[in-house]
Amino acid sequence: MITDRLARALDDRLRLSPIARRAMAKVFPDHWSFMLGELALYSFVALLLTGVYLTFFFDASNADRVYHGEYAPLEGRTTSAAYASTVRLSWDVRAGLLIRQTHHWAALVFVAAIVLHLARIFFTGAFRKPRELNFLIGVTMLTLALANGFTGYSLPDDLLSGVGLRILTSVVQSIPLVGAWLAALALGGEFPSDAMIPRMFVTHVLLVPAVLVALISLHLGILVRQKHSQFPGPGRTEHNLVGSRLWPSYTLRSLALFAWLLAVLFALGGLVQINPVWLYGPFEPAQATSPAQPDWYVAWGDGALRLFPSWEFRIAGHLVPAAFFPGVVLGGVTFLALYAWPFAERLRTGDRRQHHLLDRPRDHPVRLGVGVGALTFYAVLTVAAGDDIIARLIRVPVYDLLSLFRVLVFVLPLLAGLVAFLVARALRRGDAAGVGELTRADLRRAAHRSVRPPEADSGESETPARDRPGERIELWPEGDLWRWRYRDEDRQVVFPGSRAVRSEEEAASAARLAYPGVDRVVVPGPPPAPPPGPVRVALRRWGRAAAAGSLLLAALLDRRRDRRRQERERAEQASSPEAADRASTGGGRT
Amino acid sequence: MRRPRAATVRPLLHPRRALAVGAALVLAAGPVALVPARSPAASAPPAAAAPAAGDRGTQLYLEHCASCHGERGQGAQRGPSLVGVGPASVDFQLSTGRMPVSREVQQARRGEPVFSAADISALVDHVASFGGGGPRIPRVAPGHLGSGREIFAANCAPCHGATGAGAALTNGWTAPPLYDSTPVQVAEAVRVGPGLMPVFPSQVLDDRQVDDLAAYVQRLRGERLDRGGNPLGRLGPLAEGLVAWLAALGLLVAAARWLGRRAGE
Repeated sequence: MITDRLARALDDRLRLSPIARRAMAKVFPDHWSFMLGELALYSFVALLLTGVYLTFFFDASNADRVYHGEYAPLEGRTTSAAYASTVRLSWDVRAGLLIRQTHHWAALVFVAAIVLHLARIFFTGAFRKPRELNFLIGVTMLTLALANGFTGYSLPDDLLSGVGLRILTSVVQSIPLVGAWLAALALGGEFPSDAMIPRMFVTHVLLVPAVLVALISLHLGILVRQKHSQFPGPGRTEHNLVGSRLWPSYTLRSLALFAWLLAVLFALGGLVQINPVWLYGPFEPAQATSPAQPDWYVAWGDGALRLFPSWEFRIAGHLVPAAFFPGVVLGGVTFLALYAWPFAERLRTGDRRQHHLLDRPRDHPVRLGVGVGALTFYAVLTVAAGDDIIARLIRVPVYDLLSLFRVLVFVLPLLAGLVAFLVARALRRGDAAGVGELTRADLRRAAHRSVRPPEADSGESETPARDRPGERIELWPEGDLWRWRYRDEDRQVVFPGSRAVRSEEEAASAARLAYPGVDRVVVPGPPPAPPPGPVRVALRRWGRAAAAGSLLLAALLDRRRDRRRQERERAEQASSPEAADRASTGGGRT
Repeated sequence: MRRPRAATVRPLLHPRRALAVGAALVLAAGPVALVPARSPAASAPPAAAAPAAGDRGTQLYLEHCASCHGERGQGAQRGPSLVGVGPASVDFQLSTGRMPVSREVQQARRGEPVFSAADISALVDHVASFGGGGPRIPRVAPGHLGSGREIFAANCAPCHGATGAGAALTNGWTAPPLYDSTPVQVAEAVRVGPGLMPVFPSQVLDDRQVDDLAAYVQRLRGERLDRGGNPLGRLGPLAEGLVAWLAALGLLVAAARWLGRRAGE
């Protein structure tokens, strides 16, 4: 009631209803993979919520501070204010550790969800025209997420993150000519500088989140403007969008996902320890801890630093340190390649048309192969960052492991990419619906390059899928009008056309628009309904049996009631002859 | 070297047969077992004539140690000399179950101690009789946690990790986790420097500092330290990342698939 009046009052003043109506009618595709981006969005929301709580207690300063609190080994010890306040937050502030751990878990999940979302976009070709701009924004947000993750991880000023920060500073310093200047500019001096923590804090809680919020708004605004892409399927074309409306169905689904995310994050935050800074101790430049790794999303850089041989050389008297190639060049190439991919692919295929229907990953074996190979490469680097942990756990000399990883980092991506390429080609050329159904013959056929795929080369045409047997359009006359319907016998799917039209040609063109490339046949009359499925048959039988049973029961009950009444009447008759008289005459009258 | 151990053989026997054999053994050895007052029932073969208490160390040494370390501890191809290693070293190796080993290994792993405390002290005395001095078994007093933490961070964390989880060293050696170490074992390791570990004599760390250190390592072992839930083996960010991917992302993607599939119906 109140909301109704409030809405009315707002609408009177702001004329919101046209906007709200349009927004509520926005259609979202139903496929689950479209929710991966939402996972990232909601992780960001969780990060903002928990992060605000943390800022109340965190003291972003390098100044000395004496810790007094419940953690006995640090009692009375002078550390940086950042470290002391983080330990206080973890041991002495109510719910501080829960929120801190949830914040950290949310950061890990945030980047992981972005990576999954990026993989979905990449493998389905959702970055093609007209969505290149949104792709660029997305990649930028990934870099910002990495940057914010790293600054957040370094803020507590503990020993482990301090070592990581030292390594990153060295990587920046390894850039020829400008490196040392850049590092000094960023830190405000030599490495363990007093300006370090305050600057990272401002970056972490203000600059990057503000830019992220702006970019997320832009990302979503462009998404609404361009509408979603969708997977090909019956009834889906380049010009429509099949799915659920924002209100009410998609809102509920999305909120359910948010609830799931919060549940998982807080469960992890409460049950699984993350980054116990009180154990690591405050950062001292002279100390170290082992094993030392960064958070998973920058571990690939650490792995590259570990694997790359220590080559140093001089160019015109300037030393190029060993960290330059694995640190700066690899990182730069990674993100440049990501930024450039949509344009490189367009250059290669010459495809300048708009695409709203997504590719299936198998439609582009080369893209799939490159993507899987790249993902494997970074996965191997990430695992290589943990070589000392693995060496201790499986008791293998760490240098042997290092040599093994140096081989694997080249071999595994090539192998994985090749396998993905071949599987995609086999799926495309054969009849198998999924990887599980591939036969050896399919794979053998995929290995030969001579066979041209039967349909157009890269799936840009409006053909949603190749002709499947049993898929057809049926047209039939109904009086003066013509009707049509789509029918897939294998999947037992029938979609009737919505309108009746005047002529067979009109019906055929309407069907062609909705289901291009599907065979059309004219049938004499409305075809019989497909045979019901086993469940429905069983249900129907049960229903009939139940109906018959209940009728029988009702009849029995009725008879019994009748008999009882008669008995009662007879008893009454026996007790009062007058009444019985009346009753008997009444009975005689009827 | 294979050690005859009654404890490992007994469970293999059929229960009823074991009962019969046990009864026969008790009947046969009962009068003998009554004579020596301090015979440990588990490890001493009942048929052997029980030696006097002073000879126990000699007998155990000859049975378990001499084949590698030599009869008088002079060392051999398979094992180093024990002359002058000191009681602390012998006690450390035996009480952490690292010695005796059944075959030559680069670095013995920690395990359940083979000998009882009395046997260990007898062996320690016997090895000490080879001469050469060496560090004594330290006596550990309660220490100060704060100073212990600082000593640990400066001297131990580079190899054993700030969390005490252990780490890999060069050439296949590892710095073991510290979660099973008793205070005495910690102090012994500091004074002896087993394996690749450097020796910290009393000129470097005095006895008070070792007490503090042992106190902090005990604190690291403690359960209460694992605030915030399962520590994931205290292996650090990569283990956390694995959990984030497998547990969190696994659950969330499953949830998204479930929600998406329900929408399709």
